[in-house]
Amino acid sequence: MEAGFLSLNRGERFPDLDLPDHTGRERRLSELAGGDPVALFTSRGWWCPKEQRHMRELAAVQDEFEVAYARIVVVSVDPPEVQAAFRAGLGARFIFLSDAERRWLPRLGLRESTDTVHAPYRPAAFTLRPDLEIHAAYNGYWYWGRPTMEELRRDMREISRGVREDWELPQA
Amino acid sequence: MRPFAFLVFDGERLTDDTKAPGRRLRVDARCVAGEPVRGAFAHVCALPAKEAVVPYDMPEVQQVRRDALAWWIPLLGDSLVCLTTIAIDAVNYGGAITVARDPSLFESDPFARVFPGTIVETDLFSEVPPPPGPELERYSGAPWPGGSF
Repeated sequence: MEAGFLSLNRGERFPDLDLPDHTGRERRLSELAGGDPVALFTSRGWWCPKEQRHMRELAAVQDEFEVAYARIVVVSVDPPEVQAAFRAGLGARFIFLSDAERRWLPRLGLRESTDTVHAPYRPAAFTLRPDLEIHAAYNGYWYWGRPTMEELRRDMREISRGVREDWELPQA
Repeated sequence: MRPFAFLVFDGERLTDDTKAPGRRLRVDARCVAGEPVRGAFAHVCALPAKEAVVPYDMPEVQQVRRDALAWWIPLLGDSLVCLTTIAIDAVNYGGAITVARDPSLFESDPFARVFPGTIVETDLFSEVPPPPGPELERYSGAPWPGGSF
């Protein structure tokens, strides 16, 4: 995916975002990864029906992420208190990062240029290795461009196979 | 860093003196590794009796960690100092400790559903970023949310 000022293609390192989470606490993406694969989503915001649908999909698959040593992170321009309410409504247990001040949006080149009202993120998804190297990038401007849950499972499997030294169980 | 540190709980007090009388508990090492937050309050949802254990894989233990991620951490907000579950060994859960600057929300602590809570004033704990979720599986022997590859 060509994405403005920073190149966000497979094999490149995703920037170590520093943003407040849905509780207002400052976070870094590398800290959130914590040594595990990450599925990172940029989202228009709570108001978009496509985002609501997609986030419900993620809330359904979080049960697998929670037992599989992998993370989900969502970035939007909603303020933390709005994200907290949206997150609670979804029943999500993953983290939201707020770029309400558009600190990273221009640098990432992911602004949705066709929405001049909200100036939101363009929906996109990145599956990341624990060191934030991009494994796969998805352009979700059209809903069908987003990763399906099967594609997320596939990406998480491929990343995990590459980073877990004991993926092949040692011989007894 | 080892993924856990030992604290001792006698039912009323917590100490890092591992020779003190009481039950030795494994906590996330990061919670006692930094600059201590003075005058904080720990909600120790554990019992001093060593028989008070349940497997980490019990649905009740999984669910309280889900609740911690979903609403307990957001509810505490800036008051939160750190939280850790208590590992007894690689398999068993002995409770949890939530540390906050203000104890007024401890009556809502979801971890008290498994073992009852005792409020302890403490200077032992340091601030640790709360777990981002949704992960709640542990690394072997490490108290959740500590430990990583």
